[in-house]
Amino acid sequence: MSNFTIPVGPLHVALEEPMYFRIDVHGETVNNVTITAGHVHRGVEYLITKRNVFQNVVLTERICSLCSNSHPQAYSMAIEQIAGIRIPARAEYLRAIADEIKRVASHLFNVGVLAHLVGFESLFMHVMEVRERMQDVKESIFGNRMDIGANTIGGVRYDIDPERIGYLREQLAALVPEVDEIIEIYRTDSSILRRTRGIGVLSYDDAIDCGVVGPVARAAGIEYDVRVKAPYAAYDRLDVPVHVLKDGDVWSRAMIRLMEARTAIDLIHQCLDGLPDGPTVAMDERPAIPPGEAIAKCEAPRGELIYYVRMTDSPKPERVKWRVPSFLNWDALGIMLRQAKVSDIAIIVNSIDPCISCTER
Amino acid sequence: MLDTTTIPLAVLLFPGGLFALAFGLALKGLDRRVAARLQGRVGPPLAQPFFDLVKLARKRTMVPDIAAEPVFLGTPLIGAVSMLLAAALVPIPGVYAPNPLLGDLLVLLYLLAVPAVVLMIAGSASGSPFGAIGFSREMALMLAYEGPLVLVVAAVALRVGSFSLSDIVAYQQTHGAFLFDPVMWPALLAFLAFYPANLGIVPFDIPEAETEVLEGPLLEYSGPALGLFKMMSALKAVVVLGLGVALFLPLAPDGPAGLAVHLAKLVVLMLVGVTLLRVSMGRMRIDQAFAFFLKWPLALSVLSLAIVALA
Repeated sequence: MSNFTIPVGPLHVALEEPMYFRIDVHGETVNNVTITAGHVHRGVEYLITKRNVFQNVVLTERICSLCSNSHPQAYSMAIEQIAGIRIPARAEYLRAIADEIKRVASHLFNVGVLAHLVGFESLFMHVMEVRERMQDVKESIFGNRMDIGANTIGGVRYDIDPERIGYLREQLAALVPEVDEIIEIYRTDSSILRRTRGIGVLSYDDAIDCGVVGPVARAAGIEYDVRVKAPYAAYDRLDVPVHVLKDGDVWSRAMIRLMEARTAIDLIHQCLDGLPDGPTVAMDERPAIPPGEAIAKCEAPRGELIYYVRMTDSPKPERVKWRVPSFLNWDALGIMLRQAKVSDIAIIVNSIDPCISCTER
Repeated sequence: MLDTTTIPLAVLLFPGGLFALAFGLALKGLDRRVAARLQGRVGPPLAQPFFDLVKLARKRTMVPDIAAEPVFLGTPLIGAVSMLLAAALVPIPGVYAPNPLLGDLLVLLYLLAVPAVVLMIAGSASGSPFGAIGFSREMALMLAYEGPLVLVVAAVALRVGSFSLSDIVAYQQTHGAFLFDPVMWPALLAFLAFYPANLGIVPFDIPEAETEVLEGPLLEYSGPALGLFKMMSALKAVVVLGLGVALFLPLAPDGPAGLAVHLAKLVVLMLVGVTLLRVSMGRMRIDQAFAFFLKWPLALSVLSLAIVALA
């Protein structure tokens, strides 16, 4: 068996975004991994200080496509905190609905890609077909399939009438058996199990050391979910179960995502049941944002997303800084890839659901 | 039986050569189309593999700077030629029996090993680390499936008392096909596990796994050289499936009807053993595939040889 170095990325068929791993292998076993970042740096943090707070709602939405609801939401929450705006109850529920719809689509996407990576193309096609229902929902309710433009400072930019509520419930009802079936497939199919069980293990202690968040943390036994620990939007009035598994392998992370997608459907139903009447934005005119600073956080599909905003007298923020979940989970890859097989590299990398455009912005 | 086909004609035109190539490409096209339909996609036109080949033929072959050029360019040629020869060695029951001068089952076994060896050499000659990983995987997989194949062939030959494929076909035409003979079932099962691995499809497409090693040995290939590998792979499908028919179900009427029956059998083998298999599961890891072959097909083929020897 010989030692050599293989490049995985920056452009690699198995990776959805540009990231670069220099991997020293011995035969089929990984000896050492060097992770290099910086391939999609777009200067968003600089750009954000050149636009006013309202323009930045649009900009933050374009940081990443799969968490395109979480970024503007956390940003709006921070600005609202500075300005002392309390959003209407209806807006809080609508924010939670948008959040959960995006969560279903994001989790199904990641789990689908896992099937593609283990070479199970039929399952990949099937999961993507099921996810397509959520894409249709987004297009019907928000007008877009990825950047749904739900949030604004002081509330939300969309409203749902009884007709759309009926449509949404109908689609969710059709989605439930399909998601249940997918969960069953991932739980029992031998092709999936033999490639994901015991692969890329992150123990509880390592998970604590790396400070991982989101499904990666919950798969390693850490019961942490921003929606429960620090409720925002309407989550304090919803019953949010936190799914936790102990093994910390690729399979556990996929199962956590699937169970959360299933839970998200229930949460949307809860929101629709409790949806209060009233306005969707706090004020008719754009408020002046006073100087100040604030931190807001929300549970993006990949985990805890934290926004820090500092305002001065200018309408443009002086500094906006966000810490994305992938930044923390990324570090844990070094541990997960230790002594892994070459065949499992892409599967392990995908299991943290890395979002490079968020992380490198 | 027609036995008048001259050897050059058999190698270049029918049943090897152009005919086998066209049919192999058609089988690939059918496989892709049916797989797409099973996955809820539209899929490419049936003639897509032909289009691909024409496109590749019109392009330039890029040779990497660090590649060993003569080996890099020579291996696809050797692979394609070996399969052209092999296609002429496979009988079509009722239509074509290979000339004994061309070789028998043993020659066919050696020729069948050539594509895997050629891919291994091509992978290491390309100078790419993915090619090198493909090399080691191809070698491990070949070690795993060649053993059962040899034992299966030995079991059949022992039963018939000859290594000539014509004799094997003739024996079954008088004594009944081995497909319906319980003594031969272990050998049949072992063969059913062998041919997906030899054809390099999921779950055994490990040496070329796209999402792991980016097509492995084929990564650096382009243009006509890649086209030759595609030809080799299409011809191999016809050869391996044809071998299966000859070993286990060579019953067919004489003349054109026999040809139609033969082709129909190949289509069924392709759809059941390749298309259905590859859409219904994911890829194995090389150590899992190796363990699988050592456990089941090898045991089955040893068992089959033992019961044939005792019977």
